[in-house]
Amino acid sequence: MPSPLPPEILDLIVDFLHDEPDALKACCLVSKSWVYRTREHLFAHVEFTLKSHIKLWKEKFPEPSNSPARRTRSLSIRRFPVVTFVDMGVGGWIRTFSGIVRLHVDIRGFGGGRKISLVPLYGLSPTLRFLRLDYGSSAPTSEIFSFVCSFPLLEDLALVSLGGNSEVDGWNVPSTSPKLTGCLDLRMLGGIRPVVRRLSELPSGLRFSKISVACLKEDVESMMGLMSKCSDTLESLSIYYYIVGAVFLSAFVVGQYLSATFEPSRA
Amino acid sequence: MPFLDLSKFTKLKDVVFGCTGPDIRRTTMTLQTAESINLEKITIRSPRKPILESAYREWQDLDRLLLQFWTSRSIRPRIGYKDREEGRELRYLVPRMLPELTSRGIVDLVEYN
Repeated sequence: MPSPLPPEILDLIVDFLHDEPDALKACCLVSKSWVYRTREHLFAHVEFTLKSHIKLWKEKFPEPSNSPARRTRSLSIRRFPVVTFVDMGVGGWIRTFSGIVRLHVDIRGFGGGRKISLVPLYGLSPTLRFLRLDYGSSAPTSEIFSFVCSFPLLEDLALVSLGGNSEVDGWNVPSTSPKLTGCLDLRMLGGIRPVVRRLSELPSGLRFSKISVACLKEDVESMMGLMSKCSDTLESLSIYYYIVGAVFLSAFVVGQYLSATFEPSRA
Repeated sequence: MPFLDLSKFTKLKDVVFGCTGPDIRRTTMTLQTAESINLEKITIRSPRKPILESAYREWQDLDRLLLQFWTSRSIRPRIGYKDREEGRELRYLVPRMLPELTSRGIVDLVEYN
């Protein structure tokens, strides 16, 4: 039976339920015409943590053209190497999330001496505005920034590193770089110098309006260098200095956590 | 002691400092350089470690500086805390850390993450 209400009114009703997943799930069962709008909210944020998640996704949505991935606005990938390894096995499904505006990738605790490549996610969404990357020494700073430069509309950048930042000389600086007009959030237990160096090399310059940095006291000079690049645009500044003892304690605690939760043989 | 020089940043509206005990002097020195006429908000995040007796003197230097910001530019300083428990502790600590501001009632405690 056709609905007595015009579709835009139905959409409005569903939009009011955006933060009530149970109600949205019930709406999905009402009529096929309700499914499209309901999925926009139900799959607005998707998180892949375990390899079973991506297999489950493929099982539930075997046809990429009908998959809600294109409606997803925010994607979070934890245990990145595990998820991308499984993703390759099921036909590269992560690339169907082509309309996301927020991306969080966590590659901490992986690599085992090998460097991790972020190539499978390069340019994933041309409309990406926010990128957060949690990494350790397993990804060279140049690789991180090549990845950053693959998102032309990026405004906000958050880089969180528990380990030292490994630098590889001879980075081929891309000809263009993102707008970077929003917030820069750096939390660097190993110091911010390599990251600031790469940021300074970006061809389009820096225009951050907000900078939030947690770093070591020794980073003051690098911090000044970074801020100077944004002196015309900087409106908000947040600084936190790590205490060296606390740095080693946190690194140890997180290291223990990661080694307890990740078993490479199962990956 | 190296510290940030904020004198060049004329559009700065909002500054937040995460303070650990020994860093409070660095914060005071950095704030002394803030010349932006647009500055509206100064937030000091509460120290996570107990404050040593000797550090109270350094907090009092900050107290005087923040008072200057209030009298000359009407900037009301805020002390940020992470959770309720930290907030409760701060109610006892702030009068010792920032006596002048507390006695004039011009410091706000705010939850800050």
